[in-house]
Amino acid sequence: MNRRERMLQGLDEDIRGHIETETQDNIARGMAPDEARRAAMLKFGNVMQVTEDTREVWSLIWLEQLLQDLRYGLRMIWKFPGFTLVAVLTLALGIGANTAIFSVVYAVLLRPLPYRDASRLVVMNETTPRVGTLSVSYLNFLDWRKQSTAFAQMATVHQVGFNLTGVARPEVIRGLAVSPEFLAMVGVEPLTGRDFTAQEGNAGTEPVLILSYEMWQSHFGSDPSAVGKTMSLDGRPFTIVGVLPARFRWLDKMDVIEPLGVLLTNNAGVMERGNRGESIVVGRLAPGIGLAQARAEMDGIAARLAKEYPAADEGYGVEYKPIRDSFVGDSRPAILILFGAVLFVLLIACANVANLFLARGAGRTREIALRLAFGASRGRIVRQMLAESLILAILGGTLGLAFAEGGIHAMARWIPSNMLSGTEVNLNGAVFAFVAALVIVAAFVFGLAPAVHSTKTDVQSDLKESGRTSSASAAQKRLGGALVVAEISLALILLTGAGLMMQSLYRLRAVDPGFRTARVLTMSLSLPEKQYSNDPAIVNFWQRALDGVRALPGVESAAVGTAVPLGGEHWRTDVVLEGMGELRPGDYPHPDMHIVSSDYWTTLGISLVRGRWFTAADDEKAPKVGIINALMARRLFAGSDPVGKRFMVGHRAKEEDWITIVGVAGDTKLYGLENPARLEVYLPFRQAPFGDMNVIVKSSVGPAALTSAVRAVVNAIDKDQPIAETATMEQLVSDSVATRRVTLVLLGLFSGLALLLAAIGIYGVISYAVAQRTQEIGIRVALGAQRSSLMSMILKQGLRTALLGIGIGLVAALGLTQLMKSLLFGIGATDPLTFISVAATLLFVALAASYLPARRAMRVDPLVALKYE
Amino acid sequence: MSTKGDNERIELLQGTLDLLILRTLRLGPTHGHAIAKAIEFSSDSVLQVEQGSLYPALHRLIKRAWISVEDGTSENNRRAKFYRLTAKGKRQLVVETSKWNRLAGAIAQVLRPARQESES
Repeated sequence: MNRRERMLQGLDEDIRGHIETETQDNIARGMAPDEARRAAMLKFGNVMQVTEDTREVWSLIWLEQLLQDLRYGLRMIWKFPGFTLVAVLTLALGIGANTAIFSVVYAVLLRPLPYRDASRLVVMNETTPRVGTLSVSYLNFLDWRKQSTAFAQMATVHQVGFNLTGVARPEVIRGLAVSPEFLAMVGVEPLTGRDFTAQEGNAGTEPVLILSYEMWQSHFGSDPSAVGKTMSLDGRPFTIVGVLPARFRWLDKMDVIEPLGVLLTNNAGVMERGNRGESIVVGRLAPGIGLAQARAEMDGIAARLAKEYPAADEGYGVEYKPIRDSFVGDSRPAILILFGAVLFVLLIACANVANLFLARGAGRTREIALRLAFGASRGRIVRQMLAESLILAILGGTLGLAFAEGGIHAMARWIPSNMLSGTEVNLNGAVFAFVAALVIVAAFVFGLAPAVHSTKTDVQSDLKESGRTSSASAAQKRLGGALVVAEISLALILLTGAGLMMQSLYRLRAVDPGFRTARVLTMSLSLPEKQYSNDPAIVNFWQRALDGVRALPGVESAAVGTAVPLGGEHWRTDVVLEGMGELRPGDYPHPDMHIVSSDYWTTLGISLVRGRWFTAADDEKAPKVGIINALMARRLFAGSDPVGKRFMVGHRAKEEDWITIVGVAGDTKLYGLENPARLEVYLPFRQAPFGDMNVIVKSSVGPAALTSAVRAVVNAIDKDQPIAETATMEQLVSDSVATRRVTLVLLGLFSGLALLLAAIGIYGVISYAVAQRTQEIGIRVALGAQRSSLMSMILKQGLRTALLGIGIGLVAALGLTQLMKSLLFGIGATDPLTFISVAATLLFVALAASYLPARRAMRVDPLVALKYE
Repeated sequence: MSTKGDNERIELLQGTLDLLILRTLRLGPTHGHAIAKAIEFSSDSVLQVEQGSLYPALHRLIKRAWISVEDGTSENNRRAKFYRLTAKGKRQLVVETSKWNRLAGAIAQVLRPARQESES
């Protein structure tokens, strides 16, 4: 039996006893029994009603009260439509911005990866102190897998590319070559068809592949009978054995997966231990093993391999990353900073709404004092006001969701996909839950202080005061002032962040990249080894392509090169200078290698520092020549002229391998504008033929028209040769700073919003103070006070608030901007100029926001003001 | 249900009844009828308590743990529920009393200038 039933059980008896006692008393006073009973009943009142009322005490009173509070809140919201509109709009901006950014945070950092037990998956690379992260040698992977006990499973994942041939328009297909256990290890089953078999991990297996869902859609119209059909890749027929589910995604975009056996069949080089192609190793930690334990074991294995195979493995260690980190890449700090920034915006919005409440609450002091006097509890009144806050927050949240829906679409188009690590940003259950939580928290943040404050009335004095002049108490003014101080500090932090980002981007764009981007288009071509198996075939193709492209109308110059600046990873290898003694492995110069045609530098606008560029004469029969960059000349030939000196690629010590330096090229920012130049070596493509090249064209023709013209040239030579990765150099430069640009624009947007809200906050508080003091000001004017001194009195109030906020904000910003160091370029996180100009901006805005109400104070007509009462 | 047209009797403000119950129980635990009588008696019958309204109030106070309830026997040997002031109730009585005094003072002050105005 619960307490309620227990308490009510004796009630009837208790009431009966009460009436009986009263009847006896009446009889004792001399009434007749009938009359005595009637009088007792009359005095008691309606028994049914009393019982009902008493039962109600024990009913779910909070629920009824909640409904009551909500009704009350709704009434208040209708009663003050202006207040409601401003509050809801303010909250909608804050909540909408948060929703949009949170949906990015969720998509990139939180959404579960489409693998079974993804937190146990670890991505491994090899690494050396000098080069950093490297691919994993296949033979090393085999030893790792054999010797390791910390991993339950281990699979190798190679990146491969094919030319899709035998179709009207050939294209480049991206693929993965994986250990046959890979899909089972990550817990992905083909949507239709089958997984790879263990046999298919061995060399000599028939070419088969599994399609990605997108490839299945775009090339087979989602036809289930695609399984069993063949696809011609690099001129070889691959049998399609399965299709991946739509949810599968990998670190890089990929269209097909082939089993490792197919890769081993066609790439004998993989079986050399020193060969590190483009591969990573994915492992699933054994049950009960942590990353640290696995790391300790793997480090031991790597050390043993380095001893056993010093030529290939000395100096090589293993790098580990939870798979989530591999997906997120380096966009995490930018995303978290933006998330922090929008939370600040919401806090400012809440402070503004709280201030609105305070101002409105002042007009209700008497009502609340009365209700308190008549027995309403403070808790009940606070709850009632919170219910009103909650309704406002829900309205704001709903409108904010609508804002976010629009914002997300805009962002998804505009944020670079690598910053989003390839995932889709949308409103989903997790985002809705976040918004719901935000709404409730916001309702408390902006509602609680004014609600509690409103019940701290002095019943006596508040009842005495007549309605509308009941002035803001000192405590209320303090609370309002504190809220504005907080707003100003938050706005200052945001503005400082935006200012630092703006200068970083500006300085980054001012960096000389070492090349010219105007009107330069690049595209990549990959010649399949099967058709282009010998050097003459490769050289012949590139020469014909270059001749064809040069002959196109509008083309100023055209070149081929293995790399374009900012175009991704490049080939690097050790070089040996003539006369250089025997060095330890790892101590040899390790430049970026370019294989280029003679017009490479002029097309890209790279300057010639010394010597000459390659010419048509530097061909297969001519002596081997090379060009180095200025940094290499400085670093390795300090003081002497490198032109005429000789070097060798790799460590082969044959006389015909020596390459003579004929020129020195200017340095280029190969790996991003923010990164220092590296050593570079250029070799002529006729002396070192290579099948994967970029065609680089400088032309007055637009990129789209030029691309189709080049495609026509290429397909006239080889109808199956696709063109991929078409981009203007301007695009590449712009993409290289995209994360920073997006961060800056969003941060700028948020800090602008913060500044606006803070200005409204200051304006509101000062206006309110002026309105409260109208009478006082009127008296002062009547007594002969200078109007200008009145104005400065009001302005000073604004100034004090602003200065306090700026002071607190500056201190906080000093700490918080440290968090964005990784996004800054060429500027310290505590750059004094930025801090000073941001503080000055805020001060100006605060004074401007105070000026309007101050002017109003100056114009107060004493007669009107005194009648105001 | 206020009885008769008795102008001198005052209906109780909500919340005030609680105060009177607590005040009555300070003298010791007793049953519902006795509480009603005590309130009526100590206010010289000025305050009109519809006796029934006592019960929802008592249960409200029980729920707030300001009073507790136990079985007992009344003076005329009838089984009855006895209500007792708890420690929490005693503290609350002090709070409520001072609140009431402030309110009464305030109302008195509100009314005073009004009377002066009408007299002048």
